[in-house]
Amino acid sequence: MSTAFNDPIRAYIVREFLAGEDAEDLTDDFDLIESTVVNSLGLVRLISWISETYRIPVDDIPLEPAAYRTLADIRDFVGKAAPAAPATV
Amino acid sequence: MAAESAAEQATDTYGITAPYGDELNDDVTRWDRAAEFPHEKWKPLQRSGLFTLPFAPEYGGAGRTLTETMAALEGLGHTSRDAGLNFSASTQIVSVGIPLQAFGSAELRERYLPQVTSGQAITAHAITEASHGSDVMNIRTTAVREGDEYVINGGKLFITNAPVADLFLLYVRTGKPGAFGLSTFLAERSTPGLTIGEPLETMGLRTSPISEVTLKDVRLPVGNRLGSEGAGFLIMDYVMKREVLFSFAVNLGEMTHRLKRVVEHATTRQQFGSAIGKNQAVAHKIADMRIAVETARKWLYDTGRKVEQGKDASLDVAATKILVSEANQRTAQDAIQIFGARGYLTDTGIERELRNAAAGSIYSGTNEIQRNCIAALMGL
Repeated sequence: MSTAFNDPIRAYIVREFLAGEDAEDLTDDFDLIESTVVNSLGLVRLISWISETYRIPVDDIPLEPAAYRTLADIRDFVGKAAPAAPATV
Repeated sequence: MAAESAAEQATDTYGITAPYGDELNDDVTRWDRAAEFPHEKWKPLQRSGLFTLPFAPEYGGAGRTLTETMAALEGLGHTSRDAGLNFSASTQIVSVGIPLQAFGSAELRERYLPQVTSGQAITAHAITEASHGSDVMNIRTTAVREGDEYVINGGKLFITNAPVADLFLLYVRTGKPGAFGLSTFLAERSTPGLTIGEPLETMGLRTSPISEVTLKDVRLPVGNRLGSEGAGFLIMDYVMKREVLFSFAVNLGEMTHRLKRVVEHATTRQQFGSAIGKNQAVAHKIADMRIAVETARKWLYDTGRKVEQGKDASLDVAATKILVSEANQRTAQDAIQIFGARGYLTDTGIERELRNAAAGSIYSGTNEIQRNCIAALMGL
């Protein structure tokens, strides 16, 4: 399992959605949606953060909640996406 | 000492509109009474280069950063006493240009961005609807795909710049209810079926025209869509963060100017043999104004840097919006009290600042919605 120290996506989820809680159960296949760790508002924030942090072109961002079900799912598409040219703003 | 701007020292963009102060401040009271958009004041803003700042050089932009753009807008707020014009200028930068640059196709960017960065095309974004103000995820205006086109039906309300805008970014529903069914389209004013209502009379920001936009069988090519179908919420999130930072950076400049004016008045206005600022009742009010201005500055630029770095600033943006809008209202109210009867007179422009500040707790998501958002982010 990745730790927050070497996995920025896990670190983000722990910081933003599990602050103050035990993050030990957050394994790579832990269901973020089913467990309601990430609710509908959280999903919007998560997608927005991934899009901006990894500069993934909007056309390459999956818009189905299923793509964000687990840490492994998220890493999978982030790893495949080519970053867009950095915008000035 | 009156408040000095950290932005003024930190970036060269702060003062770009300052040389145009006389033109921008010409007859502000008359324009406010007339409630007209001052087209002739748009020209000095174009000449200043304000509209070019955050855009790439290939589209006529200056390639400056988000916080450098904020500093220029803060400078505009300090220079220009026409808060309506300032608000329209901020809307010009964020409504179409920013999302077009970040999410538009190369063809759309090449065709429209140079018009936006030059200020030749005035822009607006249409989000709010009569039945859905702050509840933006439940937008009802629909776009239905028919071949290579979308047919859009519905209506938008309270759209800043609409009466004078040439380009509109429309947020509409292309799919299921909720966030993931929203999409974004670029439309020219002349598009058949897109009708602009008469300007609506407002309490403040009277030179920034707002109106209804009706959309009846508006046909737009698929190529006018920004991003993929369903990506509207992502674009909206991106834009709204920057809208808050830009429009409230303007407010920071306006508050800084107000504070300087109040300090000048309190040190020169004599009552009972001394300057009124020597009275603790007045001095404490001014000290509180200074605290409000500096707190607003810290929040705005801290949040701006966070957004610039691609960090999650959802809570910061909501808090900044509440903090600055309420500071703007409070300091405008205090300025009237310190100026006394003169503050109440229309000609001094002090009362106008309170009217202008009133809208800040409503637009860009009401402060109640922002507080709901913060509470939700805290798991409440």
